[in-house]
Amino acid sequence: MTDQEPSQNPAEAPVDPMFTHPASPFIRTEVPTPVAYPSPPNPTPPAAIYSTWVTYRTQIEFGLAILAYLMILVGSVTVVQANRDADWRYYIALLPVAPAGFVIWLFVRALTRLDELQRRIQMQAFAFSLGATALITFGYGFLEGAGLPHLSWTYVLPLMALLWGAGTGFFMWRYR
Amino acid sequence: MKNRLRALRAELAWSQAELASHLGVSRQTVNAIETGKYDPSLPLAFSLARTFKRQIEEIFEAEPAQA
Repeated sequence: MTDQEPSQNPAEAPVDPMFTHPASPFIRTEVPTPVAYPSPPNPTPPAAIYSTWVTYRTQIEFGLAILAYLMILVGSVTVVQANRDADWRYYIALLPVAPAGFVIWLFVRALTRLDELQRRIQMQAFAFSLGATALITFGYGFLEGAGLPHLSWTYVLPLMALLWGAGTGFFMWRYR
Repeated sequence: MKNRLRALRAELAWSQAELASHLGVSRQTVNAIETGKYDPSLPLAFSLARTFKRQIEEIFEAEPAQA
């Protein structure tokens, strides 16, 4: 008995019954003719909707809040001066605090939207503003003791804001 | 820290503003990083690496330690 060598000719190879059996799910069929589906439409990029309101939203909100503050301040001072003996004058005098609080909220929100370098610049500017204001007010306090006229403490906040602005400009320039 | 940001940005032909917009930072921040005046945070460095499809070490190089 001799072993028969397997045929190397593919034409003589045994047919795979898997593809030839009538019930086989693997039966070879013709490739279906591709159906030309219309291409899905390209997603249209959303149109730029950067209106002035969107682009300058924070600045506009700041402007409106400060405008509201000034209007309420003038109205409050006028009313309080015209009613110096009324019991409710304290409530009216405190009214400008509300829009001022809104300004602070806008300010904090704007700070949280800054990127990391801008936050660092603001932190340095605040530190400079705080320290320089302390030095100036202490210094002037000593000068008042030596005879210079007394200044209202309400000048402290504008001074701090002025120094903060100067500090922001200086530290921004340092990173340019 | 030294970096190759300017060269990598030039390869993509991006402006500083375009890179800044892609990273979600200001143009000034991109400029400060490129000029070596500001070292970015780790998350921003990873964002840069992803943007340029490089390792962080291929973008940033630490200055040699002072003896």
